[in-house]
Amino acid sequence: MQTTIHRPKLQIGKHNVDIFPYWVGLLVAGLLFGLVGAFTVLRDGLQVTGLSNRVPWGLWISIDLSSIAMGGSAFVFGVIVYLLRLKRFETIGKLAVLLGFLGYSTAGMVLLFDLGQPLRFWHPVVFWQPHSLLWEVTMCVVLYLTVLVAEMAPIIVEHPFFTDHPLYKKFPVVKKAASAARTIAHWLHKAGPALAIIGLTLSLLHQASLGATYSVISGRGVWFNQSAPVQFVLSAMSGGTALLFFLGVIVFRVMRPGTVEDSALYDVARLSGGVTLLLTYLRLWDWAVTNYYSFDRNISLQTEALNAVAPYSLSFWIGQALLPIIAGSVLLAAKSIKNFRYLMAFAVIPIFAAILMRWNYNFSGLIAAPTYAPFTPTIIVNSYAPTWVEFSVAALVISYWLLMFSLAIRYLPLKAENER
Amino acid sequence: MTEHESKQVNAEENAGTTRRDFLKLAGAMVAAAGVTQFIPSAKIAARAASEEESKHQWGMLIDINRCIGCQYCTFACDAVNNLAEDMRYCVVTTETTQSGDEFFLSRPCMHCEEAPCVHVCPVGATYKRPDGIVAMNYDLCIGCRYCQIACPYEARVFNWKKPIKLSPQSPTFGYPEVPNRPRGVVEKCTFCSHRIDAGLERGLMPGVDSQATPACVVACPTSARVFGDLNDSESPISEALANAKVTLRLREELSTKPRVYYIPPDPKAENPFQGS
Repeated sequence: MQTTIHRPKLQIGKHNVDIFPYWVGLLVAGLLFGLVGAFTVLRDGLQVTGLSNRVPWGLWISIDLSSIAMGGSAFVFGVIVYLLRLKRFETIGKLAVLLGFLGYSTAGMVLLFDLGQPLRFWHPVVFWQPHSLLWEVTMCVVLYLTVLVAEMAPIIVEHPFFTDHPLYKKFPVVKKAASAARTIAHWLHKAGPALAIIGLTLSLLHQASLGATYSVISGRGVWFNQSAPVQFVLSAMSGGTALLFFLGVIVFRVMRPGTVEDSALYDVARLSGGVTLLLTYLRLWDWAVTNYYSFDRNISLQTEALNAVAPYSLSFWIGQALLPIIAGSVLLAAKSIKNFRYLMAFAVIPIFAAILMRWNYNFSGLIAAPTYAPFTPTIIVNSYAPTWVEFSVAALVISYWLLMFSLAIRYLPLKAENER
Repeated sequence: MTEHESKQVNAEENAGTTRRDFLKLAGAMVAAAGVTQFIPSAKIAARAASEEESKHQWGMLIDINRCIGCQYCTFACDAVNNLAEDMRYCVVTTETTQSGDEFFLSRPCMHCEEAPCVHVCPVGATYKRPDGIVAMNYDLCIGCRYCQIACPYEARVFNWKKPIKLSPQSPTFGYPEVPNRPRGVVEKCTFCSHRIDAGLERGLMPGVDSQATPACVVACPTSARVFGDLNDSESPISEALANAKVTLRLREELSTKPRVYYIPPDPKAENPFQGS
C-alpha cells in the first residue's frame, strides 16, 4: 500500500505555494555558511573560537548535549515497540528512531570540531581508559549510533525507490543492489528486539554519564551533585518525547492523516507529561538538597555570582520548575484536553527545559569558578562569548538536522509493519 | 512434528514474542554481560602493574614565608619548556590571609596522588608515572579539554595556537630542554621529568644536584622551593617537612592529595623580604 503524503502549502493571496523548495534553499544556505566556519576551525584550530583556558567548553558542547537529549525518544520507543510490543506505537517509533539518529549524528559532528586534534577522534575507541566518563560516553555514542543506523536502515528501504524504479530496467545492477539492501534491512528489522535492548543499555549508560561528566568534578561546587545522572536521563526522556509528540502531530496528523490513531499521539503526550513532572519533582528536591539544606560555601557563592551576571536562579524557578509543572500537567491530561494545538504549544516547554538544563549545567561551573587560594577562596566570574566561527558551525549542524528531517518526513513513507 | 506441536508453534508465532526472539534477547544480554566482565579486569590488571611504586616519590615544598614574588620560577619554567606568556605552567599570584595580610602564592602542577585529570582523560593521555609524577603523552591527547575542567588548580593549559619559536625568557633564564607540543593538545608542568630521568641515569640526585632538579627550584633566589624524594628520609624535602611546624596543601578538602606542600605565612616569622 502506498502511503499518501500530504504536503502542507502556504496560502499567499490566491496562490497555494509549496514553500518546501525555499525552506530547503534556506537550509542549504545555512550549510554553506557553516562549511566556511568548519573550514576555518579545521585550518586554524580552536584559537578562532571564544574559548579559553578558563572556559574550555562552550557553545558547541551545549549543542552536543542538547542534540543528544533531543534524540532521547529513540530508546524509549525502541523499548515500547520492540520489547513491550505495543503495535499502535510502531509508526511513531520510526519517527523516534529518525530523531535519535539525527540527534546523535549531529552531536558526533559538532564534537569533531570541538576537539583540538580532530584527526584523533578515533583514539577513545582504541586507547581505552574505562575510568573516564568521557570515554564511556564516547564509546556508548559510537556504538549507539551504529545501533541507530541499523534501526534506520529498514525505515529508509521502505521508500518506493527500493522496490520499483525505472532505472531497474536499464541497469539490472541497481536492481540487485536495491534488493540486497532490502534483504539486509529485513535481517536488521528481525534483530529489532536485540537492538532495542542494546540501545536501551547504551542510552541509559551515556545519558546518565553525560550528567556524571559534570557531577564528578568535585572542585567546581555547583557541578558536584549526586542526582545529575538521573536528571539527565529523565530530562532526555521528557524533552525527547515532547519533541516526538510535537513533530509526530505534524508528520502523522497533518502530512499522513490516518496512519496513527489520535489516541496513540495523546499517549505520547501523556508519557512526556508524566516524565516531565517526575523530573521536576526530582529537580525541586535537588535544589533543596544543594541550595537549602546544605551550607556549601562554594555553591552559595557561585549561585550569587551567577545571579549577578545572568538570571540563573530565575531560569531555574521559571524555566525548570514553574513552566514544566504546568506543561507536564497539561500533557498528562492530553486525553481530556484533546486539542492538538494547545498540546503542541505546551510540548514546547519540556523541550525548552531539557535544553535549558544542559546549558545551565555546562556554563554554571565554568563561568563561576572557585579559586585555589588557601585561606580566602573566592569565586571568579569568567566570561565567554562565542565567535562567528562557533555560530557558523552551529548553523552547519542545525541546518543538517533540519534538512535531513525535512527530507525524511517529505519522502519516507514511515509505514507501520502490517501495512506493507 | 505432531499436530499438537505444530499448533503450539503457530500459537507462539502469533503471540508477541517467539522463542527465537527470546533466544536473541538472551544472547544479546549474555554478550553484553560478558563484555562488561571482560573490559575492566584487563584494564585493572594493567593499571595495577603501572601503579607499582618506584623507589622514588618526588615532591615539592614551597615556603611561602621565603617567597618574594620575583617570578623567577615562572620565567625559568617558561624558558625550559618554551612557553608563551599565556601558556604558563607555574604562576605566582598575590593572595591574602584571613587577617588580610598579603603573600605570594606560587603554583606549579600539584602532581596529585589522586589526580582528577588522570581519572577523567578519555584516552589515557594523562597518566601517573610510578615515581608519582603526573605526565602526559602528547601523541595520545585528542584535545577534549576535560582535564582542564577537572583540575581544581588551573594547572593545565591548552595549545590554542602553534608553539612559539623561542620564549621571551630565553636565553636569560635558560634554553628549551623539551620538544614543542603541537597545536590542539593540553599540556602541563612535568616536574622537569626530563631532568630527573637524565640525572638519575648519570647518578645525580634530584633535589640535591641542580642538573637533575626542576628548573623552578634551581632558579629560586631565596630557596623557597625544596624538591626531593619523599621516600628518602634524608632528602632535602623530607628534612624540610620534618622541620616545618605546619604545612598545608591546596584544596585539601577535595582529597586529591597533592605532592606539593606549602609552609603557610607565619606573621611572627622574620621575613627580610616582606615588610609585614
